[in-house]
Amino acid sequence: MGSESIPSSIVQLSTVDKVLAIGRANSLWPMTFGLACCAIEMMAAGASRFDLSRFGAEVFRPSPRQCDVMIVAGTISKKMLPAVKTLYDQMPEPKWVIAMGNCAISGGPFKFAGQYGIVEGADTFLPVDIYIPGCPPRPEALIEGILELEEKITGNRRWPRVESGLSQP
Amino acid sequence: MKWEFQWQIFIKEVEIVDMSAASLGDLFYIAAFFLGGLGFAVGPFIIVYLLSPRKTRNIANKTSQFIECGMDPIGPAWIRYGMVFYLYALMFLAFDVDVLFLFPVAMAYNSGQFAGGIRDFVEVAIFVAILSLALVYAWKKGVFKWDRKVYHRQ
Repeated sequence: MGSESIPSSIVQLSTVDKVLAIGRANSLWPMTFGLACCAIEMMAAGASRFDLSRFGAEVFRPSPRQCDVMIVAGTISKKMLPAVKTLYDQMPEPKWVIAMGNCAISGGPFKFAGQYGIVEGADTFLPVDIYIPGCPPRPEALIEGILELEEKITGNRRWPRVESGLSQP
Repeated sequence: MKWEFQWQIFIKEVEIVDMSAASLGDLFYIAAFFLGGLGFAVGPFIIVYLLSPRKTRNIANKTSQFIECGMDPIGPAWIRYGMVFYLYALMFLAFDVDVLFLFPVAMAYNSGQFAGGIRDFVEVAIFVAILSLALVYAWKKGVFKWDRKVYHRQ
């Protein structure tokens, strides 16, 4: 479990930081890596039907050194754990982590007494910013997660929040 | 055109070391543009140095690992190749240049200026034959035997 505070820069000006935050929030570059079936939904979110590029987050980078967001999309097996840790270390600041899907949140359906192969949740070793529930979450849910992250970075939500249709009488 | 003119003035006046008021103005312009260009080139580096976070959070201390796929690299990247590859590439290069010279010949082969019957063909054949001697030489030296060559240092 790492710390959630971003290491500081030499010069800190409140207005400049706000402008930088807007720039960062509107061009979040996720990392191209998927661990399980959630990655399929992540690909769908990046493709034309759901079109993550409307929110500036479609530039999936193949190198961690160019990334802002690590989307942990899928089950983290214990074999894969050192690789995920290394990738997180190689990302430059500022960096954020999205735990996508139940496996990345808590281990999901693979969590049972006596299991030996699965890391039970990305937040056991990563500072997770946004949790997206679902098994797997739909691409809209990932887009909502990106918007939540933008709200966390800038303090403002880009679009009005859409109310759930179920809660209406 | 105007730039050329000013430039000529500048050069001429530097030659005769006559600093009149006009040339001083030109020098001022050049210095200003030079500094402006320098600022555009170096400025972003300074801004980034001041405004970007100076370190990145670590959980496994792997930030300095060169390989960016997450896996630990196996062995160094500076592995040794067999000398055979080098000789083979060298032979390829000889014939690459050979073909390079044959392209203009092929382009001009049928033009009326050079269509001289059998003579052109013989000349091309001689050219290729001479270059093929390199192949024969390499063959004799054993380049095409795919043996790992071992050199003993005395």
